[in-house]
Amino acid sequence: MADAPKLVNITVNGKKTTAPAGTLLIEACKQIGIEVPSFCYYPGLSLQGACRMCLVEIEKMPKLQTACTTPVAEGMVVNTESEKVVQSRKAMLEIVLANHPLDCPVCDAGGECELQDMTYTYGAAESKFIDIKSHRDEQQWSPVVFFDRPRCILCYRCVRVCGEGMDVWALGVQNRGQGSVIAPNKQDHLECEECGMCIDICPVGALTSGSYRYKTRPWEMNHVGTVCTHCGDGCLTTVGVRRSDTGMEIVRCDNRDKSGINGDFLCVKGRYAFDFAANQERITQPLIKRDGKFVPATWTQAIELVADKFKQVVQKDGPQAIGVIGSNRTTNEENYLLQKFARLVLGTNNIDHHRTADFPAFAKAISENKARTASMRDVFEAPAVLLIGNDPTEQHPLLAWQIRNNVRLHRSKFYIVNSQAIKLRRQATQFVQIPTGAEARFVDFLSGNDAAAGTLTQAGASNENLSQLRDALKGEQNLVVIFGSELRGADISALVKFAAPQNAKFICLGDYANSRGAADMGLFPDLLPGYATFAGAARYQQEWGADVPALVGMDLKQMFGAARDGKLKALYVVGSNPVSRYALDPFVLQAPFVVVQDMFMTETAIAADVILPAAFAYEKSGTFTSTCGDLQMLRKAGDVVSVKSDFEIVVRIAEKMGYDVRKLVPFGKGLRADMGQSRGAQSGEADRHSVWLQARGLEPKVSPFDPLATLDEIQRLIPGYDVSQINLVSGNDEHTQLVQIQNASIPSHPELVVPSNDTLFTSGTLGRYSTVLNSVMERRATGKEVAAD
Amino acid sequence: MGFLKNVSAIAKGMSITFGEMFKPTIVENYPDGPGPLRGAVFQERFRGMHVLQRDENGLEKCVACFLCAAACPSNCIYIEAAENTEENRISGAERYAKVYNIDYNRCIFCGYCVEACPTDAITHGHGFELATLNATNLVYRKEQLLAGVPAHVGQNVVFNITEAAKQKMITK
Repeated sequence: MADAPKLVNITVNGKKTTAPAGTLLIEACKQIGIEVPSFCYYPGLSLQGACRMCLVEIEKMPKLQTACTTPVAEGMVVNTESEKVVQSRKAMLEIVLANHPLDCPVCDAGGECELQDMTYTYGAAESKFIDIKSHRDEQQWSPVVFFDRPRCILCYRCVRVCGEGMDVWALGVQNRGQGSVIAPNKQDHLECEECGMCIDICPVGALTSGSYRYKTRPWEMNHVGTVCTHCGDGCLTTVGVRRSDTGMEIVRCDNRDKSGINGDFLCVKGRYAFDFAANQERITQPLIKRDGKFVPATWTQAIELVADKFKQVVQKDGPQAIGVIGSNRTTNEENYLLQKFARLVLGTNNIDHHRTADFPAFAKAISENKARTASMRDVFEAPAVLLIGNDPTEQHPLLAWQIRNNVRLHRSKFYIVNSQAIKLRRQATQFVQIPTGAEARFVDFLSGNDAAAGTLTQAGASNENLSQLRDALKGEQNLVVIFGSELRGADISALVKFAAPQNAKFICLGDYANSRGAADMGLFPDLLPGYATFAGAARYQQEWGADVPALVGMDLKQMFGAARDGKLKALYVVGSNPVSRYALDPFVLQAPFVVVQDMFMTETAIAADVILPAAFAYEKSGTFTSTCGDLQMLRKAGDVVSVKSDFEIVVRIAEKMGYDVRKLVPFGKGLRADMGQSRGAQSGEADRHSVWLQARGLEPKVSPFDPLATLDEIQRLIPGYDVSQINLVSGNDEHTQLVQIQNASIPSHPELVVPSNDTLFTSGTLGRYSTVLNSVMERRATGKEVAAD
Repeated sequence: MGFLKNVSAIAKGMSITFGEMFKPTIVENYPDGPGPLRGAVFQERFRGMHVLQRDENGLEKCVACFLCAAACPSNCIYIEAAENTEENRISGAERYAKVYNIDYNRCIFCGYCVEACPTDAITHGHGFELATLNATNLVYRKEQLLAGVPAHVGQNVVFNITEAAKQKMITK
């Protein structure tokens, strides 16, 4: 570690303070609560000194200085509120406003505009100019990015965030001086990753979002911070919701709250792909198949039918004739409840989910080697990062952002081993291209098998490159090792064994929002929650007060095989589409009684006998575990009448089957309870009152649909999950460590791991129903402008 | 003396009564008077039912900025915004109010909405006959609140431009 920089003494507005040498004056002022206004300064981006709003008076300097580019120096005496400074700020604002159209009533930024705030704070509301303001028509740069040139104040934040932050370099500046214009990379449109960071970072309304344009105003919405439902990175996204005919409509997503693990970042999916919630094709009432056609039914009818059939099958054909398939997008509580439902209510271990990474092997490797997992925050801090396989730019945009910015801001070392020339190689210290599918052999080589090197060499990698890389890696302490689904089973073990002695931390990349959670919660036919084998079932039986079935269950493919052979009589699919993901034959589902809980008519749902419309992540509360193991809490934002959360549906079916709900959901027990997360934005006074009661433990009962009670149980049972719940409730992330898991075991099916192969613009089933994502892809395919809304 | 005092008191009172008989009447003849207001007379400043104004081209002045809804202390204004298009131009700016409801169950006629309006779109009219036997009738929709199209729109060639003529003007 380098020595901490020397502290220097400065005086700001008569206040004496110290700051580390090299700190920018604007940051030093912020530390002691003195605000120096600025447009162009943005922490983490290069310095610009363009807007001149941060001019301050420094003693012994002849002219006003920009606080955003001046490092503090010993004995500096600064005045940020002198007459001269106040006057210059006012003059700067007047110049900015000279050509700024005063269309605040229609501007999307109105109400959350930095220029509005500055004008209110520092004056200059009256213009001395009589000339007509220059006007240019608004331009559409992409389905999701609109540019209104007169509103632009030329702070260049968008240019810098696009280039430095995203490494896309799609925005630039044309002309010079007063004639400067922000311009897209392809004449009149953008060709980029469509992340929308430029829109978010724009201090005014010059760049606006295609999906949110003219819909509403910031103060009209309720803002609910929750976790993104798309990839496994676990970005915090702020969902803006408004009352609508059908409950609470989601109007936009952005990252107003910069406190999440994603900081400033949000990708195209997190920002725009929420619109599937309001898709016309969304199923909003229970459907029962009669004579080959789906007929709308009431919830009572549907749940009674499902419960009766399940009961019949269990009684007539035994519990082994029922299979349950869980989801990568439901919350931890729902996954946990589902496996409990399968094991206790149905009495079978036939439970599985779509696996996108070999997490059981990872858990075993970590706990055996006493190694640690890395959180998403570690990726930004680590002195060195090794990436094997995967393409984070496409599949894990936040991870790519963290790596890029770690390299840019901390000069960390970054090693890539990949079969493709992925975009992140531009940040790499060393990039070694290996043949497709050779990742496992590379790990073999790392572990000391020099013979493996021979099969790895090709154009991009010579023997020398490879040994150089191995030597470099051996010399790295506190390395973060990230690998994709290319590595499975024993290879993961070998890799962890190789890097663990150097105090390395590991990340295993799964594809969906809660892929890791689904694995942690034990959606496996041969593993209990926390990757425990049935040999360790005693703990669980004690907690649950019931016996865990001893027989190892069928995995997903075996279930479909059993259905074909007529052995499987009922199948319960929750938020999953195995027919499409595993390319299975949907016709085998004709014989068994199939219940599908989903939002859309998927390939699997078509084959169902009953479809139950489910709420998705933004419409319920619970927790998600990101692929790194960062646990975060979801809050209910949107609301659609007539759909129910998966949690509630499972509890209702169990209840109708005659099972004691208290045994399934430990409600009424424990100290913690729902603090309002599941009630949504428009909860009202009555709910706030009950939150108060609950917070003080005065409320006599909590609801059986309260996922927080189940979180209590999860925290008691799964090692590593016992993190501060107060921190979770207040919207922070908590890292769960797999190392605490004892006797983890590997189910022997690495072949069941099927990566989703989503790109930046696809997101499984949800992505298919997102108009914005489709329009972005259409735009890229056809080159024609497509409106997003 | 007490007797005289009583008489003078009655005389004083009656003098006011008789005096009033010869003054012109100031009672409004509502609801039997003439005109659309049926005899009701208002000060200009009277704050009655709102009117959503149009500009000189007949376009709505409201740009759906939601400031009236934000200013409203009784939270009685509900707006849904939408974007103007070339084919469907409702207001002068980029955005217009697709839905504009005022709930007169809640409105307290304070006039804050009128003060807040940046485009002078919402004004207080003199409508006051809002009583109804059914409270749901008191939610007024935009169509009920809008001012009429100015009389000159559509009256002559200047104010009656057809789409074809407009295209011709642009291409010239």
